[in-house]
Amino acid sequence: MSDMRNLPAGSEPVEEYLDKLLLTLSGPPRQVRGTLAEVEAHLQDVVAEELAAGKSLVEAEQAAVARMGACSQITGRPLQFGRPAAALMRRTALAGSLIAGIALVAVGISGAIGWGLAALRGGTFLVAPFPQGSYTRADCARWLAGDPSARSCITAMTSDHVGEVILNSFAAGVLGVLALSGYVWMRRRWQDRGTLTALPIGSAEAVGAILALIVAVGTAGRGVNLELVQQGQGAGEMFSLAVGALGAAAFFIARLGRLSLPHWSRS
Amino acid sequence: MMSEKLKGNLDMLLLAVLAAGPGHGYAIITRLRERSQGAFDLPEGTVYPALHRLEKAGQLDSMWQVVAGRRRRMYRLTAAGQESLAAEARQWQSFSGSVAQVLRGLAMQPAAAPQAALWSGRVS
Repeated sequence: MSDMRNLPAGSEPVEEYLDKLLLTLSGPPRQVRGTLAEVEAHLQDVVAEELAAGKSLVEAEQAAVARMGACSQITGRPLQFGRPAAALMRRTALAGSLIAGIALVAVGISGAIGWGLAALRGGTFLVAPFPQGSYTRADCARWLAGDPSARSCITAMTSDHVGEVILNSFAAGVLGVLALSGYVWMRRRWQDRGTLTALPIGSAEAVGAILALIVAVGTAGRGVNLELVQQGQGAGEMFSLAVGALGAAAFFIARLGRLSLPHWSRS
Repeated sequence: MMSEKLKGNLDMLLLAVLAAGPGHGYAIITRLRERSQGAFDLPEGTVYPALHRLEKAGQLDSMWQVVAGRRRRMYRLTAAGQESLAAEARQWQSFSGSVAQVLRGLAMQPAAAPQAALWSGRVS
């Protein structure tokens, strides 16, 4: 059994071989552990056989590893350990799809919140109307055609913009669900240790939480500013985005907490 | 070349070794080497993907047992594995019999060397 001292490479051939095999194996964790245990028992049998033949421990371990062959013989496919760049790209794709997916879903949720805020405090709370003189009669006619019940150009314009903001938010939410589906698919496909350890564990969650908190603080601050300076016009969009971002931050922080807990304590 | 031929028939050989009784990876490769009198000397790791593949195909099943103080996965032949082994053994015996017939005919030809000389004369 090896201790945790920094021993020179080659002094523990069996341990080094098992480390390399662990990084190479892919599949469900139980299957990986099973294969690793199976190969370790096999190597120990060969070591015992070679020791009985009069070899030293290091020679016996070297012989056992040589008899076992390359790790790719056990996995039955080319060695992935030698391609860290591919593993890093896969891990980055996993992290990116998780962060992007959650961010887009949060935008979708903020759209639903914005919808509620617009119903409660009026459309101008969600979107500020354009300044007078910045739009033409033709624009007004188009907005009024879209909302025949509107009594003024500003009401029709606001109604149009509210619909646009909510529709865009929901579209972002749908894209987020697709990105998360892609994440789940990739996560099932890429379970090899090379990919999973290419970035520090929890790095995607930490980056996601930091970004979400920055967005939450920034949008909430902007919302407060609009509330104070512009009588709340457009503040609703900022507040709804802040709530969505806070939700995303909470999700990432909860995941980070789960990753730092031992496996048996997770429900 | 021998190694390639062996890999092509590894599944059948593993089933044949396990027909004698259950075994773990190390025991299986040792039995294979002994029964072939050292002729089949593969990198030992190659048995594992084959064993896992055969288990997935339902021709083997496995269970963890403690043997000689060490936890090991023991493999044994299933009924489907026995049927598969019997079918593959019949095919192999038929094939190897035919190959032997052809080779026997070649060994009885005394004119092999003059024919080679004639061939080299035609091409030069």
